[in-house]
Amino acid sequence: MFSEMFSYAFMIRATIAIVLISPLFGMVGTMIVQKRMAYFSDALGHSALTGIAAGVIMGIGNTTISMVLFGICFALLLNYISRKGLSSSDTLISVFASCATALGLAILSRGGSFSNYSAILVGDILSITVSEIIQLVVLFGVILIFWCYSINRLTAISIHATLAKSRSISVRVMEDAFAILIALLVMLSIKWVGILLINALLILPAASSRNISENFREYTYLAILFSVFSGVLGLFVSYFTDMATGPMIVIIASVIYFATYVYGKDR
Amino acid sequence: MRKRKFLFVLLLLLSITVVSTCSTFFYVKLNNVDYRTDEFLVMTSCNPIYIATTNVVGDTDGVTVQNLSQPTTGCLHDYTLTTEDMKNLSKADVLVVNGGGMEGYLEDVMEAYPELTIIDTYECLEHDSSYYDLHFVEENDEEILEDEHLEEEHTEEEHSEDGHHHDHEQNSHIWMDSEMFAVQVQAIADGLSELDASNASSYEKNASDYIDALNTKIDKQELDQKLSGDNVAVLHEAFEYTALSLGANVVATLDLDEERQVSAGEVSQLIDSIRDNNVRIVFAEYDYGKSVGDLIEEQTDAKVVYLETLVHGSYGASDYVTTMNDNYLKISNSL
Repeated sequence: MFSEMFSYAFMIRATIAIVLISPLFGMVGTMIVQKRMAYFSDALGHSALTGIAAGVIMGIGNTTISMVLFGICFALLLNYISRKGLSSSDTLISVFASCATALGLAILSRGGSFSNYSAILVGDILSITVSEIIQLVVLFGVILIFWCYSINRLTAISIHATLAKSRSISVRVMEDAFAILIALLVMLSIKWVGILLINALLILPAASSRNISENFREYTYLAILFSVFSGVLGLFVSYFTDMATGPMIVIIASVIYFATYVYGKDR
Repeated sequence: MRKRKFLFVLLLLLSITVVSTCSTFFYVKLNNVDYRTDEFLVMTSCNPIYIATTNVVGDTDGVTVQNLSQPTTGCLHDYTLTTEDMKNLSKADVLVVNGGGMEGYLEDVMEAYPELTIIDTYECLEHDSSYYDLHFVEENDEEILEDEHLEEEHTEEEHSEDGHHHDHEQNSHIWMDSEMFAVQVQAIADGLSELDASNASSYEKNASDYIDALNTKIDKQELDQKLSGDNVAVLHEAFEYTALSLGANVVATLDLDEERQVSAGEVSQLIDSIRDNNVRIVFAEYDYGKSVGDLIEEQTDAKVVYLETLVHGSYGASDYVTTMNDNYLKISNSL
């Protein structure tokens, strides 16, 4: 059964992609949950549409470039305005997300051509190409280096920003760097995961891990384990049952979340 | 305590794996269709092509026709292949497609299975001059194809720029004109005969019988006389071929599907066009054209008729004739 599955090049590519993306989701997700940035990553996902629209308007052939650039600008602008403290961050994120989505939809649906881009809503991991896998390998390396270098600083900021500042940690730089990292991860994987589900994949493994973890190391390792497990099992089940891969991964991740929730509640 | 937690995680992941594996196993057992490896497997891309191919193959021994999974809603252009389709294609001897941009995934298939032979019926119709002499239809259809050919070149340039397959410029719903559909049937028979020479006579005979049936059993309800020269509007580009096969002029087209967000400007332009050109009949697909159809009936004197495009759902070998007859009857009843 499995030998037949791996006789198809598209399945080999999809498996490699899942093995590369899912640990990143688990790892970055822990900090997103810790810093209560779930809304932020969701808004970034939705802004992908505007990134594509910007690419179309500027005549950029490869819309991934415009998506990444727009995502980074969007994340930095959101951070900048949030720091001004004129409005609560959830309101600001909601305003930005709605505005970006509406702008993207308005431009892309011009002349009724939104159907060209609707595939990005649900994603398609099976169509990933070798060059896109290379992109993911580079992303994997970048995130891993950033993580090793800055995890302690980010954790300190997430616990108490003022305390982190007193320890000579540049809160602003770290927050912006982390926002850029989320933007890169979201924008480079959104074509395979889909706008509708990307946030679930970022949040669910970390939230499940948080339900039962006692320290940060355990929290990170379990999140990565849950993420890789959901990703690989979801891909295999979707292959045999002929269902979309993204939703299948999210279903498995949700089952893990509910089980850990019940276990964590009784402890 | 910590040990208990890790045991819980281990048991949780194990039980999810076991449950998923067992349910997947039973699902596969119940749904799997195995093809004999010695059979000549013909895959088809969409319902009209499936109907044409099943009629061409008929009862020919050792040949199986299998359709790729069909979208239950939405536009065929944007459909992406499922894993089941990918598996079937890897076993197929030939893939028969409508072509002309209808199958947006065709480039991916050609890249993934470079050995797979593809019969492109649109290309046959467009490039093989013998089809023009033997079967080609009315002059206005020829004009459309010529225009499309130019548009195709134009849109191919756009393809290379933005990397997208879908274009609304090129109308490839040629099966909606029964005479063009007959040409597609012949192209399939010729293509299969070339690949499977041992059954060539069977394919050619079946195709000839089916084309005869198309000519004799499709009843146009004399619409080609009643609507000849009349102005019509369509709410799905497939019906442009229906209109042209009846000799009518298409003066306005609004291509609607479930993802189409129509602006107020487009609707008012359509209504103006219907009024200005004295359009008395509009062809639409019920699922996506009903709301705009209601608006047209409210604002103008035109009557909206809801027709089938043969794209969604599952169809049998005789369904082309039945559906076409139903469409013509609906148009006739509305006049």
